Amino acid sequence: MLTPSAMPRPALRHETVLLAVVLLEWLCFHALGPRFGTLENSFDLLRHSAEIGLLALAMTPVILTGGIDLSVGSLLGLCAVLYGKLWRDAGLDPGAAAGCTLALGALAGGLNAALIAGLRLPPLIVTLGTYSLFRGLAEAITRGADTFTNFPASFLFLGQERWLGLPSQAWLFAAVAAAVWLLVHRTTFGRACRAHGFAPEGARHAGLPAGRQLAAVYMLSGLIAALAAVIYTARLGQARADAGTGYELLAITAVVLGGTSIFGGRGTVHGTLLGVAALAILNNGLVHARQPREVAGLLTGALLLLALAAGTAPRLGTAWRARRAPHPSPS
Amino acid sequence: MSAPLLELRRLTKSFGGARALRGVDFDLRAGEVHALLGENGAGKSTLIRIITGAHRPDGGTVAVDGRPAGPLDPRGAHQLGIACIYQQPALFPDLSIAENLALRLETGGSLRRVDWPARHRRATALLERVGARLDPHREVRDLSMPEQQLVEIACALGAGARIVVMDEPTAALTQAEQTRLHGVVRELRAQGTGVIYITHRLEEIFVLADRVTVLRDGESVGTRPAADLTEPELIRLMVGREVAQPYPPAERPPGGAVLRLRRLGRRDSGVHDVSLDLHAGEILGLAGLVGAGRTELARILFGLTPADAGTIELLGRTVRPRSPREAVEMGLAYVPEDRRRHGVILDLPLAHNASLASHRRLFPGGWLRPAAERRFTEDFIRDLGIRGGGPFAPAGSLSGGNQQKVALARWLATGPRVLILDEPTQGVDIGAKAEIHRLVRRLAGEGLAVLLISSDLPEVIGMSDRIGVMRGGTLTAVLPRDATPDTVMAAALGRATEAAR
Repeated sequence: MLTPSAMPRPALRHETVLLAVVLLEWLCFHALGPRFGTLENSFDLLRHSAEIGLLALAMTPVILTGGIDLSVGSLLGLCAVLYGKLWRDAGLDPGAAAGCTLALGALAGGLNAALIAGLRLPPLIVTLGTYSLFRGLAEAITRGADTFTNFPASFLFLGQERWLGLPSQAWLFAAVAAAVWLLVHRTTFGRACRAHGFAPEGARHAGLPAGRQLAAVYMLSGLIAALAAVIYTARLGQARADAGTGYELLAITAVVLGGTSIFGGRGTVHGTLLGVAALAILNNGLVHARQPREVAGLLTGALLLLALAAGTAPRLGTAWRARRAPHPSPS
Repeated sequence: MSAPLLELRRLTKSFGGARALRGVDFDLRAGEVHALLGENGAGKSTLIRIITGAHRPDGGTVAVDGRPAGPLDPRGAHQLGIACIYQQPALFPDLSIAENLALRLETGGSLRRVDWPARHRRATALLERVGARLDPHREVRDLSMPEQQLVEIACALGAGARIVVMDEPTAALTQAEQTRLHGVVRELRAQGTGVIYITHRLEEIFVLADRVTVLRDGESVGTRPAADLTEPELIRLMVGREVAQPYPPAERPPGGAVLRLRRLGRRDSGVHDVSLDLHAGEILGLAGLVGAGRTELARILFGLTPADAGTIELLGRTVRPRSPREAVEMGLAYVPEDRRRHGVILDLPLAHNASLASHRRLFPGGWLRPAAERRFTEDFIRDLGIRGGGPFAPAGSLSGGNQQKVALARWLATGPRVLILDEPTQGVDIGAKAEIHRLVRRLAGEGLAVLLISSDLPEVIGMSDRIGVMRGGTLTAVLPRDATPDTVMAAALGRATEAAR
């Protein structure tokens, strides 16, 4: 077996390379589009990346445990619809409706958690199921046609206005980013997630509570997806059943681009943030450079594949050496 | 006399620092059954893997029909007529018998038309040659283990194998199935095939083998005609050596019982009715053959596969750990057999590995304390003499012995009352082995109760205060410290007559 631990330490850390890519993108688009570098556009960028950024933050611990959560985009849609329902039809004030939505999001994450941690089903299959289930529920609630609008200005402030000089949701995003960073990098919980991602059986033999850990990670993912739904609704001023379609793949792309191994164990939250930034700048910058939308998809794909190839190049070298060297053990 | 079918001269092979074969001579004649014997780890598997081309020898020669064969690869071995039948048949369960045979035997492009009648005729003919009346249309998953073995043998015959290696083929067979297999082996011999036969059942050797070669510590102890040997002589050949390295002596007599097992068992682990007492400061060795249920017992104690029968009493309290987490909280620690998959997490740094089981103790409130962790790691690196990397080197970059010390450090940090060690020095070089022995003895001296599972007889005998012997899933004997390798081995084999059941 190939042990990644035998990987030679690359000359540059993945995050350093990614930071350079982000800066390079910024400089390029600054040169190409005259309005790109303005403060107003930077705020736009922040507003537009907050929701996918939140989903990517939630996805990072999930992928670190060696799992995946495909249901976050659908859950965003479901939570947006639930929020609209709670505010308009149940008559809750915007704040209370948000609180209830967050709780329901965590509950939905709990469904993933119960199936993955409780019944030991593979995360890919479970969340593929809830991916359809949550979207289907959202469509059933709105009968595919209902759209919630006319939210009060006090609520739209969260998505469209500034607070202390920055877009309001940027503060929430920063708070969640800091919390997830601390959780992953500074707590025994993050350590245990990593151990589980590298070697589930090894973690079990060390007496780590795999079930509890996985459950927490997927519930957190649901909670953050609900928060993203509230912010999304406030930004657009409307909630529809198709909100967040395809966001799960963008979030996964950002996480993997950020250097997190899809097999678990390896990765950082700051890497994810850089991955989010790289994707957001690319999309926004291309609009300002008057490029058609399809180019964004094309370049996103190319960027991801390049990052992955760069990440595996040293490992291929190791594999080649391992094949030439005698086997390390008689097993 | 004509040249032997297969002749190995001065074969050597090392894995890392461990020398698996140290110059082994072996030859096989046409039309003989040559038994290959030895304890676990004596080098039998390595020798077989060289013959089948899975491993390349470091030195020595292989000759087939008197012609040097060079280092073999699996394909070359196949072409020379060498086939191996493993204990666990390696067939495709979802394909029919005929398809399995065709996959190995039919040559030609993958796009040619399949001649089904010919395929089935051939399968039927081959099955007849091994005395199996099986319908070639049957799926392999529906066959019993011995039937699958017959398919494997038919396959070897179909490939024109003249050298057939059988690796413990009767380990999972009943007496009747075993007798039938012996008939097939005799038939092969009559047809001029050379058979290398590996078994732990000594009585098989006397009814089947023409000659016997015994391996010990990677060396051939000698080749003798089976008719000239008696069973006690065979056992002595297998284990007969003085304990080579001095083992650290016990510092003080054991204290009170820490762990009491009464009729402990678990049905699907095959462990039943294990009763034993383990005392503070005692090292209790557990000897037995591979598959005797020792690791399974350890897994029951550590909650990996919880018990479904009997009781465990730990420090006077009846407990039943249902997960490793519970076991750790109760004061149990388990250094597992498979170090690379279970013992340490190869990708995590040494420090993270060592603190993994004591998060609550080292990091109250769940916040990592890097400075404290670093000090803790540096302490145990010094204390256990871990070499090859600092606190943040990945565990996978260390040698086997140092990885094992990291695994030990992880459990010592939890302050356990009972330490279960499963093959703690397997694949560990001599120097680190002696260090681990001294460490384990020191821990016992500090009052820890140690359960030492080991297939290394000198180790079990040298280290243990008492030696439990397991066979067939239960404890069959507890021998005193002064047991000889012969008595331990005889107990592990259950003396030939009984093992034949």
